[in-house]
Amino acid sequence: MLPTTPTTRLLLIEDEQDMARYLSKGLEEAGYTVTHADQADQALRLALEQQWDIVIVDRMLPREQDGLDIIKAVRLAAVQTPVLVLSALASLDDRVRGLREGGDDYLTKPFALPELLARLEALIRRANPSVQATHDSRQLRLADLTLDLLSRKAERAGQPITLQPREFKLLEYLVRNQGQVVTRKMLLESVWDFHFDPGTNVIDVQVSRLRNKIDKGHSTPLVHTVRGVGYRFGLDG
Amino acid sequence: MDRIWHSVAFRLALLCGGLVVASVLVLSSVFYFVSLGLLARNIDSKITSITEKFSEDAESKGLSVVAQRIESTLSDGVDSDVEILLLTNAAGQKLAGNISGWSELSAPLDQIIDRMVNRGDRLVPSRIRLHKLSDGALLVVGRDMQDLSEIGNLIGRAVAIGGVSAILLAILATFVFRHQFERRIWAIRQTTQEIEAGNLDRRIVLSGTPDEFDRLSADINRMLDRIQHLMEGVRHVSNTIAHNLRTPLGLIRGHLEEALRGVPEQRKLENAGHFAIGAIDDLIVVLEKLLQIAEAESGTRRQPFEPVVLRTVVTDLLELYDAAAEALGITLIVDIEGEPTLHGDKDLLAGILANLIDNALKYAGSPAAIKIQVRETVQAVSIIVQDNGPGIAAHERTKVVQRFYRLSSNRPGSGLGLSIVSAFTHLHDGTLFIEDAQPGLKVRIELPKLLAPII
Repeated sequence: MLPTTPTTRLLLIEDEQDMARYLSKGLEEAGYTVTHADQADQALRLALEQQWDIVIVDRMLPREQDGLDIIKAVRLAAVQTPVLVLSALASLDDRVRGLREGGDDYLTKPFALPELLARLEALIRRANPSVQATHDSRQLRLADLTLDLLSRKAERAGQPITLQPREFKLLEYLVRNQGQVVTRKMLLESVWDFHFDPGTNVIDVQVSRLRNKIDKGHSTPLVHTVRGVGYRFGLDG
Repeated sequence: MDRIWHSVAFRLALLCGGLVVASVLVLSSVFYFVSLGLLARNIDSKITSITEKFSEDAESKGLSVVAQRIESTLSDGVDSDVEILLLTNAAGQKLAGNISGWSELSAPLDQIIDRMVNRGDRLVPSRIRLHKLSDGALLVVGRDMQDLSEIGNLIGRAVAIGGVSAILLAILATFVFRHQFERRIWAIRQTTQEIEAGNLDRRIVLSGTPDEFDRLSADINRMLDRIQHLMEGVRHVSNTIAHNLRTPLGLIRGHLEEALRGVPEQRKLENAGHFAIGAIDDLIVVLEKLLQIAEAESGTRRQPFEPVVLRTVVTDLLELYDAAAEALGITLIVDIEGEPTLHGDKDLLAGILANLIDNALKYAGSPAAIKIQVRETVQAVSIIVQDNGPGIAAHERTKVVQRFYRLSSNRPGSGLGLSIVSAFTHLHDGTLFIEDAQPGLKVRIELPKLLAPII
């Protein structure tokens, strides 16, 4: 799925040439207009002087520069562009630091390209509330599915659906991100706030249980599996 | 010289030698002054008492009686060789005594003074007291100090000889001490140098006497044993890791090679690509887990420790695994007493439980029940995850925490789950017990509520 605006300007700050080439290609195929910077000072200038829809920053840059310093400088200049941090530093502390310094999401290398694309899309959507699904603070709606955020109750085509609290949270997340791909990792982080590999395919089983409750007996399925990546929630398959 | 001055042994020995010499000197001086001083005081009081006795006699009985007494005192054979007595009349003519006369008229009266006195044949150092009687006659009472000064000289000489010998002995001891010290240190240094050069199984040879050096050497040897053990552990782990990475890498390579062999075929290439990505993803997971274990074992992860409410962690996990358990026909039972709270890392504690639940889901079979219990005492919290599956045979229970140890190779898994549990538990100062639930597996984790400080 293409990003929502006709040209989405993306600044890629990555010093590793091979990685940058591969990422640029993948991102351009996904519809982004990519500008690549491989030096910290050049990257900072670009980030501050031009308008971007999203920025990808690698943490380890040449001459021992940390990508986090770029984010800090950008945030100090009151630029609110969403930033996704890429890093080969896998420990949880590094992740926490990355987010604290102003990053909006953190992805550890090596990663799957679809995972990166799904996260970029989610970040852009979050930054542009106008393109989100129409909803007020009390209700979320998609086709004949309604979620009451106050009473934490859901119904489809007038039929109430019995959901456990966490299932409701999962459904709420899917509805809020309708139309875009969400990966298993994103679900684990957003719905359960866990940052480890849970081993067995627990997320798949969770989604399939929810799918049973939502889609069973209805002609139009709302939960769609995106092979090898994750799920998409919405009317179109 | 500079090198010698920097030697601890030399400085210590020098200090000891110096102290020995100083104490010899102090001891001798005290002896010298106390003994001679006592004699001198005795002499002085005797002079005073004789003076008083004779002057009384002179006042009451007259000079002639005193002269007589003096003569008899000088001839009684008691101390007569050291006594000095003289009585002159007002004109200065000698009436009695053993010195010829007193010429120093300006000498102070009624004080004991030191003077050289002519005793006929020689001049002798003496203690003297002059007393003027009421009719102008002069009474001189004194004592020849020649013998005492000889004693003093003798003691002084003895002290000097003793002091010099003490200094010489101290210098000798300094060098012997330093030599001994260096010899023992050298034995230790030689061993450490050999170890540094790569000869890891060298140990310091003990002298056999249980002195400080032997105890230090024994400590160092024990430390070396521990280091060697750890290094062997590291080598073993590296070998295991290499082996466990090599196998899937070989598989990936094989698949890709096979797909490229002969005429390239779209479907074959696609399959090989998908297989490779899947296998590489598995490898990434393995690497991530190994890094987690290493991170936990290094202890650096303790910085962000904070109070963790276990009920929340268990509930979150339950709501993650409930669907999977349901699908497998396994019941999850949670039993938490009170509101146990730990000082720790929420994600790592969740990781411990997740791995245990994941293991139980994989190995307990179906139908089965998994029971998660949390109990609390004043100082500790115990977490128990128990299933009623086949359990683990007694001889394998200690092995399952080893990296890559797997009970069965036909089930998916990395063989790292319990290693992670073990590493995370140790990071929390906890102890891991793998027990028989009769039937089933019971994993019990005892965690202290407060951590020991990191040293």
